[in-house]
Amino acid sequence: MALFGSLFCRIVLGLVIAFLFMPILIVLTVSFSSSAVFAFPPPGFSLRWYASLGNADSMLQAVWLSSQIAALSTAISLVLGTLCAIAITRGMIPGAKAVATFMASPLMLPGLVLGIAFLQAARDFGLRDTYTTLLIAHVVITMPFIMRTVLASLSLFDFAMVDAARMLGRSYPAALWTVLVPNILPGFVSGGLFAFIASFDNYPVSIFLVDVRTKTLPIQLLNQVEMSPDPTVAAISALLILGTIVALIVCDRLVGLKRMASI
Amino acid sequence: MSQHATAMPPATEMHQEPSYLAVSNVTKRFGAATVLDSLSLSVGRAEFVSLLGPSGCGKTTLLRLIAGLLAPDQGAIEVGGRDLTRVAAHKRNIGVVFQNYALFPHLTVAENIAYGLRAKGVPKAEQAKKVGDALGLVRMEAFADRAVTALSGGQQQRIAVARAVVVEPSLLLLDEPFSALDRKLRETMQIELRHILRNLGITSIFVTHDQDEALVMSDRIAVMNEGRIEHLGTPSEVYARPKSLYTMEFVGQSSRMGGVVKGSSEGLVEIDTPFGLVRAPGHFMSGSRVIVGVRPEAIAAGEGPAGEYNTVRGTVAEVIYFGSRTLLHFQTAQDGDRLHVELNRLPDQVAPGSAMTLRWRIDDSRVFPAPTETGR
Repeated sequence: MALFGSLFCRIVLGLVIAFLFMPILIVLTVSFSSSAVFAFPPPGFSLRWYASLGNADSMLQAVWLSSQIAALSTAISLVLGTLCAIAITRGMIPGAKAVATFMASPLMLPGLVLGIAFLQAARDFGLRDTYTTLLIAHVVITMPFIMRTVLASLSLFDFAMVDAARMLGRSYPAALWTVLVPNILPGFVSGGLFAFIASFDNYPVSIFLVDVRTKTLPIQLLNQVEMSPDPTVAAISALLILGTIVALIVCDRLVGLKRMASI
Repeated sequence: MSQHATAMPPATEMHQEPSYLAVSNVTKRFGAATVLDSLSLSVGRAEFVSLLGPSGCGKTTLLRLIAGLLAPDQGAIEVGGRDLTRVAAHKRNIGVVFQNYALFPHLTVAENIAYGLRAKGVPKAEQAKKVGDALGLVRMEAFADRAVTALSGGQQQRIAVARAVVVEPSLLLLDEPFSALDRKLRETMQIELRHILRNLGITSIFVTHDQDEALVMSDRIAVMNEGRIEHLGTPSEVYARPKSLYTMEFVGQSSRMGGVVKGSSEGLVEIDTPFGLVRAPGHFMSGSRVIVGVRPEAIAAGEGPAGEYNTVRGTVAEVIYFGSRTLLHFQTAQDGDRLHVELNRLPDQVAPGSAMTLRWRIDDSRVFPAPTETGR
């Protein structure tokens, strides 16, 4: 009976893993297809869709824009979110719990609602610049991810260390930088990674804020699939998967995936 | 460190010196609560002073005010003639050993010790030498490249001390540094730390709630209660001649008997207690309600000469045997009274219920006004 149970568990585990990996494998395979349409299994092997990426200007522009927005919004959230998290954990502000919940609330709202709200707000404030509007919206989107991991890291951090650093001759900001930052680095990296990804593949909020010349990658990809569904999209996806793997390896080298996962 | 080691006055002469650390009329409030109430304290150079009190008495707040981690609402703090009241913590050059040591887990032992030297811009070569000296001081040379997380509690404490003194602070503050250690290690570390700090000749303020620790380590003890200093004196003064009932009860064991003053003459008062008439040095009006306090080990069995001794009779309620000594609790007739006697050798046939005659020197009795409110 126990043997049967264990076998059953293994089979289910195998199926779940297969289910999770199947789409990735299919996209990777299709990206090397020689066919001009999405066909699986592909009729032959070629690198033509990777080669065609060089000419897909609008696609590359979208990759570049999404990267910028994701990197900038993550960086801004890291700085603001960390300072806010310090104020919350140190009890420097009244209603700290409410503030923490509020900062994490964009995660609980449907993206569509946020998107419409941003569109309306941007109009009311007379904010016409698409790039700035996108950036502000993405700071709000990324903030919960940073807040959650940084608050969790700070709850394990002994602030007496900051006092110790100050007594040894470092100003408060310098003490935070030399003692707090290295000690909660795993929280920064894992929060930053999640935040970057949340911004990079955000669709429901961005769709309300983009214009014809300023399109983020998910929107551009969907346009492409609707207009000319060829394996260029698969090639881009394959490159994104590669990028993710590289990012994970870098993070592992930097702080260790185990430490990141424990936050 | 070398400059500290040269000039170190003997412990007894320090009281006459102009104060090195001067805390003047410092008040600190948190919201409606006054944690420190116009508190003053002066400490001589190279002196080791303990702030002793229960949690919530303000001792840690006072330490953080001296460190500059908190700002006082009123009053001034001076070290070595320099007014530090408005100086930022990182510019005060005051060392702190924190309760849980607050070592930096991302740095090695040597890097932890070098942290303050780096912050002060000490050249690399000199840093290495000073770190080596500091490790030698706490006998941890072999651990320079270890991770601090791999050290035992006692070892972490040594590193915390080394890290604090390596920058040659003008003052060292210690915030309950022994509370995380087990009892045996604590006793060893107390003596060792006192030795190190004496050799460095560094002025130290030590916060503790443990009276034994304070008695063992200090040149002087400031017994704190509700934001004030109840008694500032040498360990033997605080123990043998407490200025207040609070000090008597907080430091060490004590017997206490409530009573009414019947008369006084030649600096002695005669007090009517449930145990009989008791004499003690002091000046009180006849009819005042007072409490007589005696240390349990000052009480002996049997009668003594009436001119020098108080003699009372009591019934043993409990016998507590410690091996080298025995503690007897006697029956009492009124609330709040306590007659505890510590004997090195137990007279024959003492058991709960036995009647015993007890004596103690009149000079060993302390009289305090009875607290007006009930409670303490």
